[in-house]
Amino acid sequence: MALTITCPICDKRNGYEFRYGGVDKGPRPDEEGLTPTSWCDHVHMNKCVAGIQKEWWFHRDGCGAWFTIYRDTTTNLEVDKPEAN
Amino acid sequence: MFGRYKPLWGKTPRLKSSYDAVIIGGGLHGLATAYFLARDHGITDVAVLEKRYIGFGGAGRNTAIVRANQRTQENVPFYKEALELWPMLTKELDYNLMFFNCGNLNLMHSEAAMNAARMSIATAQFHGIESHLIDAKQCKELVPALNISEDITYPIFGAMYHPPGGIVRHDAVVWGLAKGASKHGVHIHQQTAVTGIGVENSKIVSVDTDHGKINTPRVLLSAGGYSAAISYEMLGVTLPISVLTIQAMVTQPLKPILNHVVSSGTYHAYAQQTLKGEIATGAHMDPWPNYTTQTTAYYIKHQAEALAEMLPCLRGVKFMRHWAGLADMTPDMAPIMDGNDPIEGYYMDCGWGYFGFKSCAATGKYLAQFMASGNCPDMLKPFNLRRFEQHRLMGETAALMDYSPDN
Ligand SMILES: Cc1cc2nc3c(=O)[nH]c(=O)nc-3n(C[C@H](O)[C@H](O)[C@H](O)COP(=O)(O)OP(=O)(O)OC[C@H]3O[C@@H](n4cnc5c(N)ncnc54)[C@H](O)[C@@H]3O)c2cc1C
Ligand SMILES: [Zn+2]
Repeated sequence: MALTITCPICDKRNGYEFRYGGVDKGPRPDEEGLTPTSWCDHVHMNKCVAGIQKEWWFHRDGCGAWFTIYRDTTTNLEVDKPEAN
Repeated sequence: MFGRYKPLWGKTPRLKSSYDAVIIGGGLHGLATAYFLARDHGITDVAVLEKRYIGFGGAGRNTAIVRANQRTQENVPFYKEALELWPMLTKELDYNLMFFNCGNLNLMHSEAAMNAARMSIATAQFHGIESHLIDAKQCKELVPALNISEDITYPIFGAMYHPPGGIVRHDAVVWGLAKGASKHGVHIHQQTAVTGIGVENSKIVSVDTDHGKINTPRVLLSAGGYSAAISYEMLGVTLPISVLTIQAMVTQPLKPILNHVVSSGTYHAYAQQTLKGEIATGAHMDPWPNYTTQTTAYYIKHQAEALAEMLPCLRGVKFMRHWAGLADMTPDMAPIMDGNDPIEGYYMDCGWGYFGFKSCAATGKYLAQFMASGNCPDMLKPFNLRRFEQHRLMGETAALMDYSPDN
């Protein structure tokens, strides 16, 4: 299931050079009105999508960039941004 | 001579339109819960619904290691009971589960690791579980094949030695539990996928399947690595889970050379010799979520390197098979067992990662108690889902084997 990831700076590289940074859950929630439940949702909860998800990666053994890609979790392949989301 | 094929657990019953309890997933946890529901609580009108065939998931893919030397006071007593249930189940199911309590050696490769082992050992001993700290020379006496020289990448300082652990034949547990459950009247339906869960007024009322609707007041979600996706897709409930692919492999069969389970967090490898003679070894998880269950050349090489250092007599031995399954990991490396919150009649059992084989008997016993009475047994209370929003995560991440998507 060799994974390759396209870094915006270094281009397509071996997946083991990168660190997974979690599924993209949008910006950190506002402090105001934050409840333990909404904070827990942001920090811990996942949809565990079997399909395409937008996710963060860190080029650990490379340029050090953080960026997002779309990947299909059932094939482990990077995909283009889906049309409607 | 060629008799007609007949499953061990009897003829396939007809899928009824209602059951007292429906269990999603024909893995170890689902089958064990069904068994105990029928055996201990007289709830025999139970359907186990399995999308593929029983044992398709982690139940048929794990490396069969059992032990009770976890890190925290909530987890240790639970695994202790699970470990003690093997001989009882073997007898009761009238099925040889091949429990071999050869003991586990968890290798330490630094003084800091030796100190961490002292803490785990103190916890185990406090709960009446045998676990000792031994030095490198004693490791060598127990496992003569072990390399304790100082010129390897991670020299061995000693080990946490846990004699009551060992291995159990995982397929036999699946078949034994299926046989036991169906003997008590449980219906096992293979090739039957759950496609929806019906809830009315915050109560479970039914389950949809690809073979029609089933009315029921109780549902247990125990679909292993698939549970978190099912929870979100069918109920909109997200869980603190990441689903990773975990890999394992076996060598060609050898004469007996390894009569203990040997594991090393630092080498990220463990090995045990199956009763067939193969060295079964694992278990790497690529730290990004995926459902592929594919293996990688990267890991096969890693595994060969680790084994060649730890157990040099294995150099040149061939790997015969490699495979992978899913591990549903929680942030605190402890499972989620919960029920009736917030949906009445809905129970969940997931987040078992790579440790759900050893625990399956105790899980079944206590979840059955929970589902029969509606009240959560004390043993299961710490494992509720709300611990995450209450910020009361368990300390299992401090255990000496540490894999997760976050590190
Ligand atoms: C390589 C590997 C090594 C491991 N090693 C160990 C070990 O040494 N010790 C240990 O304790 N644990 C180990 N584990 C972990 C252990 O195998 C799992 O935690 C455990 O099997 C999970 O519980 P289960 O058996 O109930 O789930 P599974 O066996 O995964 O059962 C879930 C079932 O649900 C079914 N299903 C999915 N979706 C649906 C649906 N919609 N409708 C109906 N059915 C559905 C699946 O087909 C599957 O059969 C290992 C796992 C792997 C993959
Ligand atoms: Zn880069």
